[in-house]
Amino acid sequence: MKLDASLPLEYSTEENSNRILGFWIFLGAEIALFSTLFTVYFVLVNRYASGPSSKELFALAPVLTETFVLLTSSFTIGLAINAMRHNFKKPAMVFMAITLVLGLVFLSVEINEFVTYVHDGATLSTSAFLSSLFVLLGTHGAHVTFGFLWGSMILIQVAREGFTPATANKSFIFSLYWHFLDVVWIFIFSFVYLKGMM
Amino acid sequence: MKWDEFFVTGEPMIYAAMVAIALTSIGIVAGLTYFKKWGYLWREWLTTVDHKRIGVMYIISALLMLFRGGVDALMMRAQTAAPDMKFLDAQHYNEVFTTHGLIMILFMAMPFIFGLMNVVVPLQIGARDVAFPRLNAISFWMFFFGAMLLNLSFVIGGSPDAGWSAYFPLASKEFSPSVGNNYYAIALQISGIGTLMTGINFLVTILRMRAPGLELMRMPMFTWSTLITSVIITFAFPVLTIALLLMTFDRLFDSQFFTMANGGMDMLWANLFWIWGHPEVYIVILPAFGIYSDIISTFSKKNLYGYKSMVVSMLAISLLSFVVWAHHFYTMGQGVMVNGFFSIATMAIAVPTGVKIFNWLFTLRKGRISFTTPMLYAMAFIPIFTIGGLTGVMLAMASADYHYHNTMFLVAHFHYVLIPGAVFAVIAGFHYWFPKVFGFRLNEKLGKLAFWLIVVCFNITFFPLFLLGLKGMTRRMYTYSAETGFGPLNFVSFLGALGLAAGFVVLVYNIYWSIRYSPRETTGDPWDARTLEWATHSPIPPYNFAEIPNVKTRDAFWFSKIDKNLPIFSGKLEPIHLPSNTGKPFVLGLAFFFLGFFLVFSLWTPAIIAGLAVLAIMAAMSFDRDHGIIIPVEEIRATEKKLRGESI
Amino acid sequence: MLKQLFPTRHVVGFLSSLVLTAAALSVVAFDLSFTAQMAILLVTALLQASLQLFLFMHIGENKSKTTLYVNIGYALFVGLVTIFGTLFIFVWGWY
Repeated sequence: MKLDASLPLEYSTEENSNRILGFWIFLGAEIALFSTLFTVYFVLVNRYASGPSSKELFALAPVLTETFVLLTSSFTIGLAINAMRHNFKKPAMVFMAITLVLGLVFLSVEINEFVTYVHDGATLSTSAFLSSLFVLLGTHGAHVTFGFLWGSMILIQVAREGFTPATANKSFIFSLYWHFLDVVWIFIFSFVYLKGMM
Repeated sequence: MKWDEFFVTGEPMIYAAMVAIALTSIGIVAGLTYFKKWGYLWREWLTTVDHKRIGVMYIISALLMLFRGGVDALMMRAQTAAPDMKFLDAQHYNEVFTTHGLIMILFMAMPFIFGLMNVVVPLQIGARDVAFPRLNAISFWMFFFGAMLLNLSFVIGGSPDAGWSAYFPLASKEFSPSVGNNYYAIALQISGIGTLMTGINFLVTILRMRAPGLELMRMPMFTWSTLITSVIITFAFPVLTIALLLMTFDRLFDSQFFTMANGGMDMLWANLFWIWGHPEVYIVILPAFGIYSDIISTFSKKNLYGYKSMVVSMLAISLLSFVVWAHHFYTMGQGVMVNGFFSIATMAIAVPTGVKIFNWLFTLRKGRISFTTPMLYAMAFIPIFTIGGLTGVMLAMASADYHYHNTMFLVAHFHYVLIPGAVFAVIAGFHYWFPKVFGFRLNEKLGKLAFWLIVVCFNITFFPLFLLGLKGMTRRMYTYSAETGFGPLNFVSFLGALGLAAGFVVLVYNIYWSIRYSPRETTGDPWDARTLEWATHSPIPPYNFAEIPNVKTRDAFWFSKIDKNLPIFSGKLEPIHLPSNTGKPFVLGLAFFFLGFFLVFSLWTPAIIAGLAVLAIMAAMSFDRDHGIIIPVEEIRATEKKLRGESI
Repeated sequence: MLKQLFPTRHVVGFLSSLVLTAAALSVVAFDLSFTAQMAILLVTALLQASLQLFLFMHIGENKSKTTLYVNIGYALFVGLVTIFGTLFIFVWGWY
């Protein structure tokens, strides 16, 4: 395994560089995936049958909380990778842990949001609008959940091995995933929640 | 759930299938135990990450599925051979045509193509394996277990029966309450994940792992077609993933996506399915075009005519393939502007395809043609596929399509593009690359006999269907009365189908005969071919090339044979790094199989446990730190000597 | 040395994304025309997405950045065709 010391550790071997390219391509596929979910949402958004419409359902406070938490977590994972590049293992791990905790906070606010909706009689089965809302938000939430588990695994590996080409590569790829989820959320925030409250 | 909802009961054919499955399984287990081959199977095949072995497994699976899909086809043709036949009732006919479509497209054509890609592409670019060998193995096992899940439906729970396109509301829980269409949604989802992984893998492989000097515009056409197909896969399959997810939610969790009440929109399913479905048919045909380009060039002993326009036309097809999908449902109710737009886009996509046909013809012109079996298939493809393509342009016109839509005319059209296009290509590719993998050629006489049976009988089977469609016979019709006048042409079609079956029997017999009697090759280049895969031995050593070739032109291997000043090997050897085998991809696939099975039957607790198993295996893979093996130079030298037939 | 170590890009990016989020809120805070609202949402979302891509995900520093741009471009092409093609078929182009 040939190491190119002029590159950051996560790019430094041919295999590492290939894995990063492969993951970017996977993110392209994920763009297509979320576009399909948005398509379904936009077509079904006004088909709320006897259930609540988006204007009746959405509340600004939890949405702003979720947005702020996710944006901050994107900031902290960026700081983690930055620390990693300067070989500061402890700060990198701390920032990564904060990112994961913020992810959990996001999930708990979102789960609470879902529970509230269901409690008010707005369930997955109530209308096409609600089905598409729950599946769009739920798919994003499931991605965040998977990210939490994946990030935890990586954090354990960094704790055990430090920043090797392998763990640096995994951490960087994880950060790409996390930033991507924030991008998706920005579009959800704008075109699901804000547009739905217009 | 009652036992007779779980096991399919009351059907003699299905009981026979259950017995056959049980006996075959027992036979396989007994055979492996008696010959003490369990270890061999695990070490050499189930845990392999070698692209050549994975490719062989894909192709074996595809051949087995070809058999099942073919039997489905024979049953359909038998049932419709005469008016009012009682061979299959309506429900069974529905299950048969659904299974036929699913198996032939998703579990025969796709794996056959992926198998050839796996074996050939790393060799054509002078690489030692794909970019992500372990991911490659995962892709195969996801496909395999998805296919197994679908095949299981026949005997456990019941096959899907709403067509391979599973339109709502028919495919909804309300109108298809049995688990058949749960199998559809979940088995395709599992296989689809494998396919997406393959697309990404081959994209990175071709972009990053080419031999020195092998610029993009020097690659063989099969590799180019694989690159572009991988792009289409990457962006089309996620749409299917969501469509199947929504279908699963509607059927299992009472969501309202495709329902007819509470705001649901059943036609949205058709829309999403075809946004994926149209790029899908290009995923199937572009690699076929690549195979034909390589074969026609090799057996005309000429450079491929119009290389650049071949590349540009495939790029154009890849983009256009995403903007034509509504031609699959012109009659669904959208307005004239929509139909007009999609008609024009669909007709436009015929142009780059036409460019390719002319390039193949110009390659043939003034070439020194060898009429080998692969070349025969390629030459038969050109005129017959053109018929399919021209009828496609007829169908592209929305107003005319109101007459042709969902008649046998459509069925004839897509078989006239799929079979000469994809099926002949994989058979040709199979004949062409078989000696590369196994070290001996398939018998030419048997190959040619199978060719003539298949090509002639294909036309006898499918040409009448054009006429039947124009006469008014709709598709997916399990029977018809004598007064319709559909009898005679259907009977002719049935005779053709019997001939097609005979052709495939000869093909399979050829494999058996050749294993026993074909003379073994020694050169690794039996066809005097042009591209890099022929520059190494047959069978292929695990590291592919002892030395990575260095190229300066297209068809570098050919020019190294005819021009001493363009060698591709310098003689310098270095130690070779290869990845280790791993059993985790197989186990992951198995976990997905169980997850899928439990979801099909709505067994939530077992499903959750299987889901946790999936996550646990993925976590274990994350902790893997196996750096593979290094083959030292002395061992490479010894292997090379042995493969050249020299004594050590 | 502290100046070199200070993560300027990230802080600037983070603060900008907060500002852009606040700007997007104007569509519910004020009474604007539909076109203006959609324009604001689109511009703020695209700007935030670009921030993520360029400042945080280091897309420009990859040796295969052309491939990555083409990848994102193709993905957006497919995504936009899916969204707008479907809306064309079922909403704007329906009888």
